[in-house]
Amino acid sequence: MSGFINGLLRLRRGPWEMVASVLIALGVLMLMQPFAIGLYSWSFLVTLTGTVLFVIVSHFPE
Amino acid sequence: MSFSVTEPTNRIKWVAGILVVGYALVTIAPLLWIVATGFKSGPDSIAYPPKVLFEPTLEGYVNLFTDRTRATQDMLDAAGAPRNWYEQIARDQGTVITGASRYGERFLNSVIIGFGSTALCMILGTAAAYAFSRFRVPLKDDLLFFILSTRMMPPIAVAIPIFLMFRNLGLNDTHLGMILLYTAVNLSLSVWLLKGFIDEIPVEYEEAALIDGYTRFQAFYKVVLPQAATGIASTAIFCLIFAWNEYAFAVLLTSGTAQTAPPFIPTIIGTSGKDWPAVAAGATIFLVPVMVFTILLRKHLLRGITFGAVRK
Amino acid sequence: MTDTPIDKIARATPAGMARRIRGFSDRTIAWIFVAPTIFLLLAVNIFPLIWTIRLSFTDFRVNRPNREVEWVGLRNYERILTDPDIWATMQATAHFLIWTIVLQVLIGFALAYLINKNFRGNDLWTTIIVFPMMLSPAVVGNFWTFLYQPQIGLFNYVIAFFTGVDPASFSMIGDVNLAPWAIVIADTWMWTPFVMLICLAGLRSIPDSIYEAAECDRASKWRQFWTITVPMVLPFLMLAVLFRGIENFKMFDLVVQLTGGGPGNTTTLTSIDLKREAFEKWRTGYSSAYAVILFVTVFGLASIYVKALNKVKQR
Repeated sequence: MSGFINGLLRLRRGPWEMVASVLIALGVLMLMQPFAIGLYSWSFLVTLTGTVLFVIVSHFPE
Repeated sequence: MSFSVTEPTNRIKWVAGILVVGYALVTIAPLLWIVATGFKSGPDSIAYPPKVLFEPTLEGYVNLFTDRTRATQDMLDAAGAPRNWYEQIARDQGTVITGASRYGERFLNSVIIGFGSTALCMILGTAAAYAFSRFRVPLKDDLLFFILSTRMMPPIAVAIPIFLMFRNLGLNDTHLGMILLYTAVNLSLSVWLLKGFIDEIPVEYEEAALIDGYTRFQAFYKVVLPQAATGIASTAIFCLIFAWNEYAFAVLLTSGTAQTAPPFIPTIIGTSGKDWPAVAAGATIFLVPVMVFTILLRKHLLRGITFGAVRK
Repeated sequence: MTDTPIDKIARATPAGMARRIRGFSDRTIAWIFVAPTIFLLLAVNIFPLIWTIRLSFTDFRVNRPNREVEWVGLRNYERILTDPDIWATMQATAHFLIWTIVLQVLIGFALAYLINKNFRGNDLWTTIIVFPMMLSPAVVGNFWTFLYQPQIGLFNYVIAFFTGVDPASFSMIGDVNLAPWAIVIADTWMWTPFVMLICLAGLRSIPDSIYEAAECDRASKWRQFWTITVPMVLPFLMLAVLFRGIENFKMFDLVVQLTGGGPGNTTTLTSIDLKREAFEKWRTGYSSAYAVILFVTVFGLASIYVKALNKVKQR
């Protein structure tokens, strides 16, 4: 866990890609869940953030 | 053979074999059913209980390739005796043939567009894959990801602007338009797959050729291309199968001249309601080439479906 | 191993010399080779994509080309993301997605596990099992409607044969409750082999020595399965799940031929809904925004997919 936070602070690719992946997955879950329409409304913004973040952080050093 | 702890016992092999064969038989049954339905007569195809044993007839195939009209006795008398076997089959159903159906045309469109786009795709794809494999291309990883992601896009979403673009360029419902579109969609697969195949060819071969005084281009087509022949062939078959099977773009961007078989087959109807034997015959003719290709491809299937990532 | 003359020459070449010869105008050649591909993809993919994004902020309609096009800002997005009907199509898609993945993973993995026992003739049967996934989804969808016919359909007959229900009493594609399952069954029939092939590759990538070591440690078969087989196949399984997930998220051809989105809207998956908005109601601006939402989602999932792909590649 401390390695993960360390990686985040030092802008390493691995942990940041993980963060972006989680955001994308969360966005997709929000998009398709049947429980609250509010979550559905905000899903696109979450997915978009995750996707843009992924594109950026995949250029960070390993 | 030496004894190994990891080698399953004969009994386990038998059980595994029986289960797999059982699944295979269940999974192949619908396909066999379609092939069989193509050789049934109209009433046999909708009989209850479903008929496993039946008298085979070419009715479905005749109906697939012809347009017919329901004939009254006067018409039958006026038309005279049937001139050949397929007219005979149509007469037996109480119809007369009025002309050839459009299935032949649609099938030919599938062939033209399939082979055209595959050829173009292989030319562009081999060159690009070679460059990605051997040279330092700026932004290589980004370009490769971009190329792959084009494949993942939902066809309906892509079709909206392409529809507008094709309309402005006069490419709607043309063979050229469909060939360009399928080439673009297939490029991702061919670049990724071919890059994998070319990566496996040792660089030393080309270097030796270069020392012998070959230019880069000569080394490319005299050394690399023959070495990559199997890879190129299997990639081509994958591209061909995709173009052959594609439906979404075809149904949205073509309506007549350049329509391929997949959007056409479901629209086949007979003189009275859905003509299932004809539909089944159309599907059979359309699917059998793919099955043959699958058998040819079986060693490379895995590479094809994982974009070259899993090589066994 | 035999040495061809070319091998000998290759080895005799000093590395420095080889590099110099290779260095001749490679940049130019790389450009000549890559440019046509990039150009075609820009023309057929990127240009239309940018156009879609532009249109998504307008109220343009293809069927009324002479009407003044107005900029509506984010209103299209706002309407889509608060529309309960579109939310419902997302849930129909989710139902389809979840069940196809669950069934395909379970059956596909089991089949791969059995085939990996290397019984005689397993190659032949594997090829037969693979047939459905190579076929045209639209044609497959079309002939499954035939199998699903009440009374005369083979599927109904087989179900009736084993359960004793009257085969004319249920219609897989006409019944509101059954239709979502009809598309799950057809898709599972078609794509289980895909998951199976990838799992098989995963199983075959496990070296025998690991099992032999476990055998020496007297680990039970059950334990070996959970501590060796499953973890080693997992990356491959992830790959298969992601790919099927993306494919079924944008599913169109099979389902549109099978049920056409009906009865009611029970099998209206997102792509089918989008097709209606864009090509039947011709609300181009609105459906462009819809398309952008799907684009971004798929693009995000594709990024994760490529990551999974590289993970498997390293094995």
